[in-house]
Amino acid sequence: MRTAPTKTGEALAAALTAEYAAIWAYGPIGVRLAEAERKSAVAAEAAHRGRRDALMVQLSAGGGTVPPDRAGYTLPFPVTDRASALRLAVQVEERTAAFWRAVLPTTTGAERDQALAALVEYAVRATRWRRSAGITPLTVAFPGRPG
Amino acid sequence: MVLTCPVVMGRTIRRDRTSEFSRRAVLGAGALLALGGAAGPLTGCGLLDRDDTPKPDPLDPLRDEALRLAAGLRATAAAHPDLAGRLTPLAESHEAHAAELARVTGATSPSGTAAPPATAGTPPTDQAAALTALRQAERTGRDAASTACAAAPADRVALLGSIAAARASHLEALK
Repeated sequence: MRTAPTKTGEALAAALTAEYAAIWAYGPIGVRLAEAERKSAVAAEAAHRGRRDALMVQLSAGGGTVPPDRAGYTLPFPVTDRASALRLAVQVEERTAAFWRAVLPTTTGAERDQALAALVEYAVRATRWRRSAGITPLTVAFPGRPG
Repeated sequence: MVLTCPVVMGRTIRRDRTSEFSRRAVLGAGALLALGGAAGPLTGCGLLDRDDTPKPDPLDPLRDEALRLAAGLRATAAAHPDLAGRLTPLAESHEAHAAELARVTGATSPSGTAAPPATAGTPPTDQAAALTALRQAERTGRDAASTACAAAPADRVALLGSIAAARASHLEALK
């Protein structure tokens, strides 16, 4: 049965579109990295795929609309070398974290825990990418907060 | 509702007269009165009573902890100056959290309330031990913020989520 979109459903659908874009972005990121950093990119991409799959199941089960993936996305800047790849990886984690933060107020219980886990994980991964990129400070005061 | 709380309503208006008598202030007072109505006629006035003793807020312990974490980082930075570049931004984040928590809980200022003094004790002289102690404190802090996030009303949960995420990323930055 199809039900009207709820606030939670809308926020989760938005998070799903962010996960699609993150997975896509790790393609060009991965090819510019080597060794341990490439492995980290593969692991990060796998984490985003895991959340994408869970969201698709969750949204379908809830009778909501599952937004489709796009064929491609526009990168915020050209990824031509290791430095730009790492910079994009930082942005990908920061931005997906923001979508999960937006899920928090619409949820309670297990769904809220799920959103917090994603926000925390992506904030930590952004910190790791900043360290690889030599970006300081390594952390931001309010991960996921817009602006 | 207005009739049951005439004194309080009058106070609200008098307070606003000092600045501009804004539409938002009137709407805000209306919203609070409506809330009082929902809670029941007897508690309606109590909600708006401006008693000078600040009521404890469930987030007060989290704010105190933010100040303690900041103090711990600053004390360690002072004892180990070569770590200062790494530790100072983390201390600043905790201070920003404390300020934001004070804002949402309506507390006056971090030092103006009954908050315990944010002393951190003496950091270990061994640098590795000092970092271990800081990591432990961030871990405890992350868990406390996560617990608060799980229990918070919708209007506070995003802030608490960001604080939990910041503390978790501090833990990573201290590795």
